[in-house]
Amino acid sequence: MDLTSILLLLAGLAVGAFLFGRSRAQALGGGVGAARNLHSLPDYYGYFAALCAVLPPLMVLTLWAAFEERVVLALLANGLPDHLQALSPGQLDLFLNSVRNAASAASVPADPVLAAATDEYLSLGRSSRWLLSGLAVVLGAGGVAAAWRSIHPAFRARNRVETAIRWFLIAASGVAVLTTVGILLAVSFEALRFFRDVSLSEFLFGTTWSPQAAIRDDQIGSAGRFGMLPLLSGTLLIAVIAMAVAIPVGILSAMYTAEYASTRVRALARPVLEILAGIPTVVYGFFAVLMVAPWIRTIGESLGLNVAAESALAAGLVMGFMIVPLVSSLSDEAIRAVPASIREGAEALGATRSEIALDIVLPAAMPGIVGGILLAVSRAIGETMIVVMAAGLAANLSFNPLESVTTVTVQITTLLVGDQEFDSARTLAAFALGLVLFIITMLLNVVGLGYVRRYRERYE
Amino acid sequence: MYNDTRFLLLFVALVAFAPRAGLAQSGRDYVYIVGSSTVYPFATVVAERFGRASSFRTPKVESTGSGGGFRLFCDGIGVDYPDISNSSRAIKASELSACAQNGVTEVIEVKIGYDGIVFANALSAPDVALTRRDIYLALARDVPGDVPGELIANPYQRWSEVRPGLPDQRIEVLGPPPTSGTRDEFVELAMADGCRQFDWVRELAAAEPDRHRRICQTLRDDGAFVQTGENDNLIVQKLEANPRAFGIFGFSFLDQNFDKVKAATIDGVLPTFDAIADGRYPISRPLYFYIKKAHVGMIPGLERFLVELTHERTLGEEGYLVDRGLIPLPAAERESGEAAVSALEVLPLAGK
Amino acid sequence: MNRVVESRLRRRHRRERTFRGLCVASVLVAALFLLVILGSLFRQGASAFTQTRISLPVPAMLPAGDLPDSGAMDYDAAVLDALAALLAIDPDRAERRELRQLVSIDAAFVLRDYVESSPGRVVSDASVRVPASAKVDMAIKGEFDRTAASDRRPLSDLQIDWIDRLVELGAIERTFNTALFTNGDSREPELAGIRAALMGSVLMLLITLAVAFPIGVAAAVYLEEFAPRRAWIRLLELSINNLAAVPSIVFGLLGLVVLIDWLGMPRSAPLVGGLVLALLTLPVIVISSRSAIRAVPTSIREASLGLGASRMQVVSHHVLPQAMPAIVTGTIIGLSRAFGETAPLLMIGMVAFIVDVPSGVTDPATALPVQIYLWADSPERAFAERTSAAILVLLGFLLSMNLLAAAIRRKVEK
Repeated sequence: MDLTSILLLLAGLAVGAFLFGRSRAQALGGGVGAARNLHSLPDYYGYFAALCAVLPPLMVLTLWAAFEERVVLALLANGLPDHLQALSPGQLDLFLNSVRNAASAASVPADPVLAAATDEYLSLGRSSRWLLSGLAVVLGAGGVAAAWRSIHPAFRARNRVETAIRWFLIAASGVAVLTTVGILLAVSFEALRFFRDVSLSEFLFGTTWSPQAAIRDDQIGSAGRFGMLPLLSGTLLIAVIAMAVAIPVGILSAMYTAEYASTRVRALARPVLEILAGIPTVVYGFFAVLMVAPWIRTIGESLGLNVAAESALAAGLVMGFMIVPLVSSLSDEAIRAVPASIREGAEALGATRSEIALDIVLPAAMPGIVGGILLAVSRAIGETMIVVMAAGLAANLSFNPLESVTTVTVQITTLLVGDQEFDSARTLAAFALGLVLFIITMLLNVVGLGYVRRYRERYE
Repeated sequence: MYNDTRFLLLFVALVAFAPRAGLAQSGRDYVYIVGSSTVYPFATVVAERFGRASSFRTPKVESTGSGGGFRLFCDGIGVDYPDISNSSRAIKASELSACAQNGVTEVIEVKIGYDGIVFANALSAPDVALTRRDIYLALARDVPGDVPGELIANPYQRWSEVRPGLPDQRIEVLGPPPTSGTRDEFVELAMADGCRQFDWVRELAAAEPDRHRRICQTLRDDGAFVQTGENDNLIVQKLEANPRAFGIFGFSFLDQNFDKVKAATIDGVLPTFDAIADGRYPISRPLYFYIKKAHVGMIPGLERFLVELTHERTLGEEGYLVDRGLIPLPAAERESGEAAVSALEVLPLAGK
Repeated sequence: MNRVVESRLRRRHRRERTFRGLCVASVLVAALFLLVILGSLFRQGASAFTQTRISLPVPAMLPAGDLPDSGAMDYDAAVLDALAALLAIDPDRAERRELRQLVSIDAAFVLRDYVESSPGRVVSDASVRVPASAKVDMAIKGEFDRTAASDRRPLSDLQIDWIDRLVELGAIERTFNTALFTNGDSREPELAGIRAALMGSVLMLLITLAVAFPIGVAAAVYLEEFAPRRAWIRLLELSINNLAAVPSIVFGLLGLVVLIDWLGMPRSAPLVGGLVLALLTLPVIVISSRSAIRAVPTSIREASLGLGASRMQVVSHHVLPQAMPAIVTGTIIGLSRAFGETAPLLMIGMVAFIVDVPSGVTDPATALPVQIYLWADSPERAFAERTSAAILVLLGFLLSMNLLAAAIRRKVEK
C-alpha cells in the first residue's frame, strides 16, 4: 500500500465521517429540515466529524513518513547476518543503499545475501504500510466515535470547526514572521562565526577585500582581508547609475501615463512597462554582457576614453531599465492618488498641464514617489544576476563609472557557489555580507513602505 | 459547505499531487563526482558519454576545487559522500590521513594525463614574455628587499615596475581560490621557483622550511590578485572583457578558447600541447581521479564508469579527452594505470 | 503689458511642449529598450531552432548481409568510415582526427539506435541522418569568419574543404533542432537541450504552488478579516511587506543554512528549490490576496452578517468566492516571477551539470533560468545562440502565464 492509497483512504474516511456526522445531527434534530432544533447547520456536524476522523491519522501519517525509512532500515540492519553487522556504519550505509536500489529495480539481485536483504526490506516496508493503514483506520474510527459522543443538538459544531480553521489561518500568518526570523537567525548565526575570526571593525571599515583564507593546515595562504568598503562602494556606484536611469525615466513615464495619455495610449504604454518588469533578471544580465557592455566600450573608445568592458556603467544602465517599471508604477499610483480637486483648482487658475504636473501634483505626490524610490534603491542593491554576469570581480575602491567594480551580491555568489563547507572564514564571509545586505535593504524597505503608507493614509 | 463535491474534488486533486515519498523511492543510483574545476570539463564529458552509452544514469559532477573536493570526499563512506574526487594535483598526505580518520582507508588513484597552468590574457592585449621571477615578484605578498634577509610588503603596482620591458599597466591577475588545486600547484611550481632566485631565500629552505614556504607561497592580498570562484569559464570571459587583466587556469581552457585568450610565455616557452607533453613548459602537473574502493560494487555504475574512464578511447593518444585539451599519458603509463584500476589497487596509507 | 503676457505665455507653452516631449520620450525610451532586447534575442536565437545534420549512407557504415551483434560494433569507426567513403578520401591518422571533429559524438549512438531498431538486415539505399558537430553547425550558419587566420578559427582549411564538398554532395541539411527540447544539458552544444531544466522548473513550481498558495491565502484572510488591530499584527504586516522586497539571494542563504545544512535536505533538489521559491512567493501572494479581499465591497459582508452569518461563513461563502479570481491572478503572477528567479537557486547547488531529466523532487536538477545562466557562461559560440533560444522559450512560458492571468482578470471584470 503506498502513500497515495493511504491518503485516498483518509479522504474516503473524511467523506464518510462527514456524511455520518451530518446524518447523525439530522437524526438528532428530528429528520431533514429540522435544522432549527440544532445549534449549527447539519453540515457543520459533518465537518466536525470529518476533522475528528482525519486530523489524528494525518498527524501520525506525517510523523510516520518522516521516520519510516530510518526505522525500517534500522530494523533491517538488526536482522542482517553477522558478517554484515560487523561492517562500519559507512559500509553498512552503502549496503543498505544497494538494497534500496535493488528494491526499486524490477529484477532480483544475483547476490543471495543482497536478494534476501531486499526481500526482507520489501516485506518490512509492506508491514510498515499495513501497520500505518491499520493505525489510520483505528484512529479515524476513534475520531468518529468521539464525534459521535459529542454530537447532540446543543453541541456548538460550527464554533468548533471555525476555531480549527482560525488556528490554521493564524499558523499560516505566522509563516511570514517565521521566515523573517529564520533569515535573521540563520544568516546571523553563520555571520557570528565569521566575526569570531575577523573583527567587526575590519569588516566594516577595511578598504581591502581579498577573501583568501587557507583551507588546510599545511596550505600556505594569507589570512585574507575582509574589508567590505570596496564592495559597498561598488554596490552603491552601480545602484546610483541605475537610479540615474530609473528615476527620470520612471517618473516621467508615470507623468505621461497619469497626466497626458488617453485611456487607449495608457492601455498600450502600461503593458510595455509591465513586460519590462516581467523579464527575468538573468535575461537582463545576458543582454548586458552581450550587447550593452560592448556598445559602451566602443562608444567610449571612439571618444578616447579608457572603458573597462565590465564597467559599472553597463551593469548600472541595464539595471536602471529593469527598475523603471517599479518606480513608474509606484509613482503612477502616487500621482493618481492626488485628489482631483487640487488639480482642478490649478486648472481653473489657468495653469498649463506641465505646471500642474510639476508644481502641484509632483509636490503633493512626493512622499509616495520617494517611498517608491527607496524601494527601488533596495531592489538595485539586492539585485544579483545582472551584476554577477556583467560586473567585475575585482574589488576596486573606485567611483569611476567606467571602471570595473564588484558588488556585495557578486561576492556572495562567488564565495558560495561550489563551496559546501561552512568552516572557513572565506565561506562564512558570504553570510556576513548577506546579513549586511539584509539589514540595509530592510531599513530601506521599512522607511520606503512607511512613506508610501503614510502618504496613502493622508489622502484616503 | 454549500457544495460537497467541490470539497471532495479538491481533496482528490491534493492527493494526486502529493509527492511520492517513502519506500517507493530508490537509493542513490548514480555516481557522484566532485573536485577540480580544471578536471571538470573532462569529467563531465566522460560522464555524459558514459550516461549515453550505458544503461546507468549519468553521474552527477560538481565543481568544488581539488581541495574542496577532497574535504567532501574524505568526510566518510556512505551514500551521502562522493564516490570520486578529481584533482589537478596529487592528494596531500594530510588529506589522506584525514580520509583515513573518517574510515576512507582505501583510495584508488588514477592519473589521467597532464595539464599546464597558463598565465593568459585577452587576444586584444599585448603579447607578454614572463619569467617565474616576474610572476613571483608581481604576486607575492612580501618580496625580498635590497638587503639580504629583508622582507618588504610587495611595492609593485605596475608590471613595468616588476621588470622594465613588461607592459606599463596595473597588475591585475584573476586566479583561483584556496580550494583549487591549480592554485596550490601554481604557488608551488611558479612562485616558489621564482623566489628561489633570491639567494638568501633559497638558503632558508633548509634552515627554516616553514618560513621559506611562507615567503615563497603567499599570494598578495592587496587587491592585485583577484580571487574568482571555481569556474574557469568565468575567468576566460572576464579576461576577454578586460584586456588589462591576466588569468591563471589550466591549459585545456586555453586550448578550447584560443580565439579569445592567449598565453604568455614563461621562461621563454609558450604553453603548447607539445611543450607541456615533453616537459619544456615549466608549470605543468598531472591530473588525477581518486576513487573510494569501498564504493566500488556498491554504487550502481561505478565499476563501469572506471572502465570507461581508463579506456583507450578516453585517455589514449587519440582519445576523446585529447580533443578537449588533455595532454595524454605515455601509452605504457596509461595501460599500467588501467590495469591498476581494474585490479583496484589502493594508495598506501603513508601517503607520499 | 500685452506683449509681456504674450511672451510669458509663449515661454510657458514652450515649457509645456518640452515637458510633454520629455514624458513621451521616456516612455519611448523604455519601449525602445524592450524592443532592442527582444529583437536581439530573436536575431540571435532564431538559428538555434535548426540543427545541421549530415546524412550518411548506411551501406558504407555497416557490413553487408546480417548485422553483427550490436554490442560488438565499433560505431565511432563506422561513422568515420562512412564519412570518408562519402568524401572519397582515404584519411591517415591525423586526418581521421580532423574528420571526427565534423560529426557529433552522438552520431555513433544514432547509428547504434538505428541498428538496434532495424532487426536483421539493412536496406541497401538507406541513409542515417547524424547531427553535425557544433563547429560545422556554426560554419553552415555562417557564424564565423572563414577568412580568418587558420589558427584563429575553429576549423582547419581541410575541414572547411570537406564541408564544402559535403554541401555540394547534398549530404548536409538543416532540420528542426529537436535535441533542444528533448535532451538535458550537454557539454556538446549540438546535443544540449532544455528538457531537464524545464522539468526541474516545473517540479519546483508545483511545490511552490502547493505550499505558497494555501498558506498565502490563509494568511491574507486572517490579516484582512480576523486579525485584531494590535501591535504584533502591525509587526506581522510589516514583516510581510518587507519580505516582499528582500533580495532574493537572501532567501537562497536561508535555504542553504536552514534546509540544507540544518535539516539535511539534499543539494540541487527541486524540493529545496521549490520551498525556497515558495517562501519568496508567499509575500507576493499575501499582498495581492489582501488587496483582492479588500476590494470585496463591505456591503456584502454587512448584508451577510446582518442575516446572521458568522464571520467565518461570511468569508467562506461570500468574500473568498468573490475575491478568488483576483487571488488566482495574483498567484499566477507571483509564480511567474518565481519561474524566472535564478539567484537563490545558485545558493542551493542547483547549478550542477544535469544531463538526465529529473523524475522526482529529490533528484538532482536545475532550472530553466539557471540553465540560461550556465549556457551564457559557456565559451563555445554555439552556446550563445542556444542561450537566446532558451531565453525565448522562458519568455514564452512567462508570457503565457501572464496572458492566462490577464484573461482571468478580464473575464471577471466583464
